Amino acid sequence: MFQNRAEALALALPAAIFAAAVFLVPVLILLSDGFRNPVVDGVGGGWTLSAFTDFFSSSLNQTVFLRTLRLGAIVTVVSAVIGYAAAFAIVSLDPVAKGRVTGLVVLPLMISPVARTYAWIVILGRTGIVNQAFQALGITQAPLRILFSETAIFIGLLQLFLPLMIISLISALENMPKDAIPAARVLGANWFQVFWKVVLPLTREGLVIGGTLVFTGSLTAYITPAILGGSKVLMLETLMYQQVAVSSNFVAASVIAFILIVMSFAANILLKRVATARNKVRAAA
Amino acid sequence: MMPNSLGRNLFIPLTLFLVIAFLIGPFLIIVAASFSAGDTLAFPPQGFSLRWIAKVFTVESFRASFGMSLFLAIGGTAAALVLGIPASYALSRYKLPGAEVIRTVVSAPIIVPGIIVGLALLRYIVVPFGVGISLALFLAHTALVLPYAVRVVSASLDNLRSDIEEAAVLLGSSRTGAFFRVVLPNIRGGILSAFILGFVTSFNQVPVSLFLSGPGVRTLPIDMIAYMEIVFDPSVAALSALLAFLSIGIVFAAERFLGFSRYV
Repeated sequence: MFQNRAEALALALPAAIFAAAVFLVPVLILLSDGFRNPVVDGVGGGWTLSAFTDFFSSSLNQTVFLRTLRLGAIVTVVSAVIGYAAAFAIVSLDPVAKGRVTGLVVLPLMISPVARTYAWIVILGRTGIVNQAFQALGITQAPLRILFSETAIFIGLLQLFLPLMIISLISALENMPKDAIPAARVLGANWFQVFWKVVLPLTREGLVIGGTLVFTGSLTAYITPAILGGSKVLMLETLMYQQVAVSSNFVAASVIAFILIVMSFAANILLKRVATARNKVRAAA
Repeated sequence: MMPNSLGRNLFIPLTLFLVIAFLIGPFLIIVAASFSAGDTLAFPPQGFSLRWIAKVFTVESFRASFGMSLFLAIGGTAAALVLGIPASYALSRYKLPGAEVIRTVVSAPIIVPGIIVGLALLRYIVVPFGVGISLALFLAHTALVLPYAVRVVSASLDNLRSDIEEAAVLLGSSRTGAFFRVVLPNIRGGILSAFILGFVTSFNQVPVSLFLSGPGVRTLPIDMIAYMEIVFDPSVAALSALLAFLSIGIVFAAERFLGFSRYV
């Protein structure tokens, strides 16, 4: 460790000042806009919550807000369920196969999200693969409208974020003591009890990390709802874009920005709490 | 780990097949669709041709926005490293007052949704200071890559024993000389990894650039979204496939030659 403070500050400050000037200050001003009274003809100013009450009094905005929360929650839960199954299967492979399969799971993360989302148009569209198959099998007569729906957004988000959950759970399962499951089995636990009482508590931290990544990622995704939801099925990010690009309503955009940031931070804190609270219980017991 | 050997024999391959089909399948479909001879995007592709792959290179706006994205990814990442390497060095080697504050400020752009960063820049940097869109995009992408640069370079600095450079200083080298002759060669792999991670992040970034586009100034992903809303031909599929192979190629090369995953 070097002690020279002036030297250290000279090295670190350019980056910090840059991030503050280009990012932190503009973002904070933008967020504060949602709490200000607009100044009209020199009258107004001061702080108010009216933009927030206005925002939540609109039923469209309520729908979009609840849809964003709902999709975030469903994508997180489903990716956790699939993630556990996939992570179990992967850690039981031999080392070479494990490396290859993990590579295949990570591969989509390197492909542009625009390309990954675009593919679902080919699959879910009116003449897409799913509709072709359904009609050929006689399940439906007319093409189903899957694209531009919440279902399409759900599928797109799940595909986008599932790898993050799987990777988090793989490392959690690998760090679990090897004899925990056989021990529980010998003591007479069934497989449901093994998962609920042994695996889940021991991998809780990995689940929390994966869950936070998937949930905040889903809340703040733009490309998926923009391409697969269209202009009718909005999420908060696409609503924010419309407020700016179509309505020029910057106050509403600031309100949405504030809601998005609060939800991401709240999810982070809440999930961390869940993880540490459980650990304390275990340590005490 | 599974209930019995029969369950295990079925469960593992079936799960892996379904999950990987779900994750990789759509990409394979895009690749197949881009070789179609038909006029609209469809799967299975109608016939085989290279016309859509050829068309990608003739679309004027794709060429311009590809150039823009390439400039942002290379320039923005380089700028982030120029700011990030000294900051990481100070954070890992010095007793720095307010180190946690500096670390938080520098890593903050990763936490805040990109669309908010883009709008904030438009409203409070571009408009009041008359900054051009290209410069604003450059600043935004630099800020976006900075957290990755600091994280990856810090990790490789933490892996390097600090007594080597202290020895160099004791033996008469200046602090700066020790940095360039001892530290820098040893964290080369980390810096290159940070560069590749930053490049891919910047190149694929959409929300930050959403509000920062003007006439003729657009990043490639934004241009692709705009194009696919108007034209439903397989050229976006062809472009997506080409870009995907490009980034997969870069990451694979990096993994092979640098052991990329050690740093990320």
